[in-house]
Amino acid sequence: MCGVVGFLDKSGNGQAPVGQVLLDMLSALDRRGPDSSGVALYGDQAASGLVLQIKLGESGSFETQGSHIAQRLAATVPVIGTSVTGAYLRLVVENQHNSHGPADLERAIEAAGQEIGLNLEVVSMGHRLEVLKQVGSPANLEASFGISSSIGTHGIGHTRMSTESRVDLSHSQPFWAHGRPDIAVVHNGHITNYHKMRRIYEQHGHRFYTENDSEIIGLYVADQMSQGASFEEALRASLDDFDGAFCYLAATADCLGFVKDPFAFKPLVVTETPSYIAIATEERALRIALGEDFPVWEPGVNCVQTWQVPAPTTH
Amino acid sequence: MSEVNCTDKTPREINQQIRHLIAQGARDILVRGPQARHNLGVAVLQPVRLVFDGSVGYYCAGMIDGPRVEIRGSTGWGAGESMLAGTVIIEQNAGNSTAASMRGGTVVVRGNASARAGIAMKGGCLIIQGNCGYMTGFMMQKGTIIVCGDTAEALGDSMYEGRIFVGGKITDLGNDAVVEELTVEDQAFLDATLAEYDISTPPRFQKVVAGQRLWRFDKKDFSAWREAL
Repeated sequence: MCGVVGFLDKSGNGQAPVGQVLLDMLSALDRRGPDSSGVALYGDQAASGLVLQIKLGESGSFETQGSHIAQRLAATVPVIGTSVTGAYLRLVVENQHNSHGPADLERAIEAAGQEIGLNLEVVSMGHRLEVLKQVGSPANLEASFGISSSIGTHGIGHTRMSTESRVDLSHSQPFWAHGRPDIAVVHNGHITNYHKMRRIYEQHGHRFYTENDSEIIGLYVADQMSQGASFEEALRASLDDFDGAFCYLAATADCLGFVKDPFAFKPLVVTETPSYIAIATEERALRIALGEDFPVWEPGVNCVQTWQVPAPTTH
Repeated sequence: MSEVNCTDKTPREINQQIRHLIAQGARDILVRGPQARHNLGVAVLQPVRLVFDGSVGYYCAGMIDGPRVEIRGSTGWGAGESMLAGTVIIEQNAGNSTAASMRGGTVVVRGNASARAGIAMKGGCLIIQGNCGYMTGFMMQKGTIIVCGDTAEALGDSMYEGRIFVGGKITDLGNDAVVEELTVEDQAFLDATLAEYDISTPPRFQKVVAGQRLWRFDKKDFSAWREAL
């Protein structure tokens, strides 16, 4: 019984209070699952470089290890910024760095961790995407990362009640689609053919970082898109390939979309106003975060809808 | 008109205040700022008028027996669930399973209703002014559903009894749901019922009822059973 939320600002100017809106929506839903919570924020850091959030450990402070990893990486990767918050190392890598693809960069980071005995995990990588997640309720999320001050174009969020896999940082959502920058997903439900699909992906060399069925959605969307599908086509295809009762939201650097399961077993409501699109598991999240002045509807079975972040208007 | 302000109150506190006002003799109650909270106005058993000035969450007006509940917004899942008598008016859209297992009274949805409206209905009347979602009338046993707009997939799937009138397009009938001719009495009922709620009658209705093939097992119908179960 997780809670998922999404928000997209239609102005496209990158100045929308996405962090505050997502936090308000998640706080309204925290009784749906306080095991862990997280957000995927799409801001305007493109100018500064490729931003990575790297999990250094499960909990506690990793200041020393973080700077150690950053130093090691700086020898081979053009690192232009580092900071450590809790169990996360935030790394900014120069944009024009072409010798490493995203997958190579991820491997290099994991290898640097192995050298000092740390099992590192890149939880997000993107020119616009940053994933911040942790064990505990949305209130903890604000206390740890101060996400309410984050501005941007769009974002998705999740508050989790675990039913199948462990409660820890790795198993919390949103999930970044490993290997492909800027794609993230949040999911409420079950992918019942997860094990079968996972085996197929593993046979093709994909690595899984968790036992959580939701992890496969990001991988699937990224895989479809790398085969030439548009974002919307990738989401539509998932209705044929996934079994189960699932509702998920996915986002790329400039798109937001949702998929509603073929049986309408999982709740999801949507609104679209001249200024924004907002999606949440329950209407309560929309009313608390955004007020009363808009209609809300529950999409039908197999409904897929996507929106693009518009180009910023110039005055 | 008596008022309940929902600010900083839990659903339980709001419901207790509604009950308290009714016990004091209030017959017209306005609930301000429900902000889509769940379980509001459940099990109200007196013939009062209860108005929510915004959207409500899940199971609003469930198990009621007699009141008139007006919701000036939308509803979450299961509005009017298991109600015995009374009227529920939803001014905007309704979530999944609206009027689930209702036994009597009337639910009116002015907007669209989502999946499984009227699931397992055991009486009463559900009126949907707009369109309805997947599996509307699933396993209904008695009562009437009137859909003025279009219906989604699997309308009336596995219904035992009851009737569904559709003023728009039927996308797809569920297992053992069949279209039957409208009678003169049916049309008179539709005209009178819709007029009561200021809904203009669509020019032509279709009537969907149980085909009764699933009432008992017949080896000849094995394929229909396999599909239904």
